[in-house]
Formats: sequence, C-alpha cells, structure tokens
Amino acid sequence: MSGNLLHRPPILRGPDGIGGALPALILIILFFVVPVVALLLRSVTEPVPGLQNYATLFGHGTYARVFFNTFLVATVVTAVTVIVAFPVAWMLAIMPPALGSIVFGIIILSMWTNLLTRTYAWMVLLQRTGVINRTLMDIGLISEPLPLINNLTGVTIGMVYIMLPFMILPLVGTLCAIDPMTLRAAALCGASPFDAFRRILLPLSLPGIAAGGLMVFVMSLGYFVTPTLLGGTSNMMLAGMIAQMIQSLLNWGLGSAAAFILLLVTMALYALQLRLVGAKRMTGGI
Amino acid sequence: MLLDYDRLGWLRAALLGFTGLVAAFLLLPVVFIVLLSFGSSRWLAFPPPGWTLKWYEELFADPAWLEAALTSARIATMAAILAVAIGLLASFALVRGQFRGRNTLRGLLLTPMVLPVVVFAIAIYAFFLRIGLGGTTAGFVIAHTVLALPFAIIPITAALEGFDKSVEDAAIVCGASPFEAKLRVTLPAIKIGIFSAAIFAFLASWDEVVVAIFMASPTLQTLPVKIWGSLRQDLSPVIAAASSLLVLLTLSLMIVTALIRRKLSK
Repeated sequence: MSGNLLHRPPILRGPDGIGGALPALILIILFFVVPVVALLLRSVTEPVPGLQNYATLFGHGTYARVFFNTFLVATVVTAVTVIVAFPVAWMLAIMPPALGSIVFGIIILSMWTNLLTRTYAWMVLLQRTGVINRTLMDIGLISEPLPLINNLTGVTIGMVYIMLPFMILPLVGTLCAIDPMTLRAAALCGASPFDAFRRILLPLSLPGIAAGGLMVFVMSLGYFVTPTLLGGTSNMMLAGMIAQMIQSLLNWGLGSAAAFILLLVTMALYALQLRLVGAKRMTGGI
Repeated sequence: MLLDYDRLGWLRAALLGFTGLVAAFLLLPVVFIVLLSFGSSRWLAFPPPGWTLKWYEELFADPAWLEAALTSARIATMAAILAVAIGLLASFALVRGQFRGRNTLRGLLLTPMVLPVVVFAIAIYAFFLRIGLGGTTAGFVIAHTVLALPFAIIPITAALEGFDKSVEDAAIVCGASPFEAKLRVTLPAIKIGIFSAAIFAFLASWDEVVVAIFMASPTLQTLPVKIWGSLRQDLSPVIAAASSLLVLLTLSLMIVTALIRRKLSK
C-alpha cells in the first residue's frame, strides 16, 4: 500500500503518528517507570547513601543461599519442563485435530485456572498425609512418607506444573512450521528414526526450545506465589525474600537492592531473548 | 517420517501414552480440588469418607468471601475496560505509526509483562503510600491496568496487523469520516482481537495475587488476597469450595470464549 503513496487521494491522511500511544505512554511512565526507578534509588540511599546494601547482599551466606536456591530451582524447572514439553508439543503438532483439541483444552483449563487454586491443590496433594504419599505407601514403594512439601522438591513440582503450558504452546508453533518433507527425505536416505531426530528434528526445533526455555527460566527466577507456599520459610527464593524484607522487616534499602538485582538479571535475559527470536515471535504466543 | 502421524509406528504409541500422562498431570489438581470440595473430611482425607455440601454452606455463610469476589470483579472489570481502551489507541500507533523509536515504545509498553511482579508490587506499593492511593480502589485499578495493558496490546496489534488498511481508506474515499471509518469498518474487522484482549486483561487482574497482597487493606480485599490469607492459616476445605467455583468460572469463560469466537469469525 505504501507503494501507492503517490496516488493517495488528498482526502486520506498519512500514517498514524505517536498520538494514540500517548495515554498508554503516560500510564506506563507515571505508574510503572517512575515507581520502579524511585524504588531502585532507595537501594543506594537507605538507610544512608552508599552501596552498603549490595555489600550486605553479596557478603552474607544467608543471601548467597537464597540466590543459589533461586538459580538452582529455575535451572531444574527449565530442564524438566523442556524435556516433558517436547514430546507433548510434537504430538500436538501432528495429532488429528479432534484429539488435539482435547489436549489443548486441558492445557488451557490448567493455565487459566486461578494460580492459588492450583498451588493449593499441590499443597494438599504433596503433604505428608496427602494422596501421593498415601498411594505410594499403599502400593509398597515406600514405607515412610516422602518429604514432598516445604522443600525445593515441592517447589520444583509445583513450578513445572505452572510452566508446562508456557513451554508446550510456543513449541507447537515451532514444530508445526517444520516441513514433514525434510524428515521423509532423511528416512528415504536411510537415516534411522533416532538419527533423524538427533540430526534434523531436534536442531530445527532448537529456536523454539531456546525461546520457550529462556522464558520459563526468566519467569521462574522471579516467581513469588508458588515457591512461597510450597517451599516453606527455610527454602526461600529471591522474590519471596524481597517481599519479606519489605513486608515483615520493613528494610526498604536491602529489599530494593535485591529487587534491583532481580530486575537486572531478568532484563538481561529478556534482551537476550529478544535478540534470539525477535519481539514479534516472542509475544505471539498468547 | 517423524512428523507423519500415520507413519510413526511404535513411536506413536509411546508418544501418545506420554502425552496422555502429561494431560492427566495437568488435569489432576483441577479435578482433585473439585472432588475435595465435596468431601466430608475437615483434614482433607482422600478419598473422602463421605460427601457433603457443608463447605459450600460455610463459604456462603461468610460474607467476607462474597465481598472479596465482588471487589475482585469490580476491579477487574474497570482494569479491563481501561486496558482495552488505552491498548486499542496505542495499537493503532504501534502498528500504523511511522515515527522513530516505535519498536522501543512497543517494548516499553510490554515491559510490565516481563518484569517480575514482586518488583512492580513493592514499587507501586511504596509509590501509592506516598501519594495517598494506598489501599484504595483507584490504586488497585491503576496498578492492575498497568499489568493488564500488555495482555490487551498483544492480541489487538496482532489483529490490526492482519487487517488491510486500504479497506478503511476505501470507506473514507466513499465519504466516511476517518473516525467513522475506524468505528464502522476497522473495529468490526478486528473484534476478535479486542474480545481476546478484554478476556486476557480481565483475567490478568482477576487472578493477580502479588500486587494485591501489598495493596490490600483490612477493608479492601480481592478474592486472591482472601484465599492467600486463608491458605497461610490452614488448608481448610472451604478454600477447596471457593477454588471449585473459580474452576467453574474458568470453564464457563472458556466455553463462552469459544462460542463467541466462532460467532464473531462467521
């Protein structure tokens, strides 16, 4: 259409300007950028100006443990999610639509169900006397209840549950875009199914795996609700620690320093993701 | 062959079985909560010794639950309306605008979706305390509109990108005013995007926990805050009853969405 600019009837206006975006821009600057920047400033001004809050965060074993927990859980959750999501996305990409829509329906139902509802269900399922422990004991696999809650195992199970749809849905898109012909050609040329998987299907779906995996990792790093409820007080993750520093300890300086570290890591990974897949493809998932 | 459903052989059975297991895993907590809400054991024994409706009776007997649900509905409705209106205007600029920094602007407007909510929650909490919006409905609506905005912008820009602008131009050439052409030609054409935006924006506020925990006051609680507070005390089956009603709501929303989408796309 832009090629026809010369023939544009005078009655038509040119392209839209920035005007329409002004309300959104004002909203975001006033109620998002300003509050966040103000918060981050408090990390270097409270209680006294200087970098002592960051020194505290990096100098204490307690905080190092929280950082370690956070990265450990995010890494494990991402790895498990990728491994579990891939076969499901693979099937969804080639399944007959009637069957596929049932699986899609279940994924959407799980994703749209209130986050607290899902976490509550896992709290009940995973507790000492919960269904999972009872079943495992009844069939004789274990004699003592497994500690599945108030530790990082519980957090990991709950987080994988929450993150699976975010990994499966974009991967289906990637897999649907692969031409089945390439794999038929590989088979004709004598590749075994394993070789075809390792040398063709997997490499071709790698962009989707990287994009989804990075998204899951970033979301896991800053997750608050599920780790707080399933992890208990002794296995805190970063977001839970920040909330506690502000809400119970009223230590705004330390809390906002920790928030700044989380923000920095998140934004760096987000920028990497944008370079990897481009803004359009990343947000096209919803 | 690996992408041909009919020629996968034994691998298909294995992959289908695995997919079935994952689907069961995804469905398990949802079904479990609904069953549990009808179980008679206060200690959540499963399978329950008997079936009862008493948790629902307890839920409806406590006006705090209903009040929290109404508060949530009110805030989410206002946030969704604002986010869709502001997002719609912004989408026209983001898709059709020709100005420097358009992609940067798009990135900025979508940032609330990627920044960890806990960072935004304490930032807006501190900010509202200072300007006197802490614990108010207006404060809730503003904070939730910020969080809902990306969920409104993404489907609307996607719909707008798929719409051929020359149709709108044709209406103008035929005598419509630019505003009229947008209202009567473009908006109907992208209504599915607008509708998705409204649903996503509503859910973004309705399900939001973290900002709400910080913003809530004893007199202003949303439903997630009420559930959160109960969860921290005990795992009472009343929460299962409330949760089941939320599952019911999700299911009806999914069905309504599917029906409306089908109707709109005709």
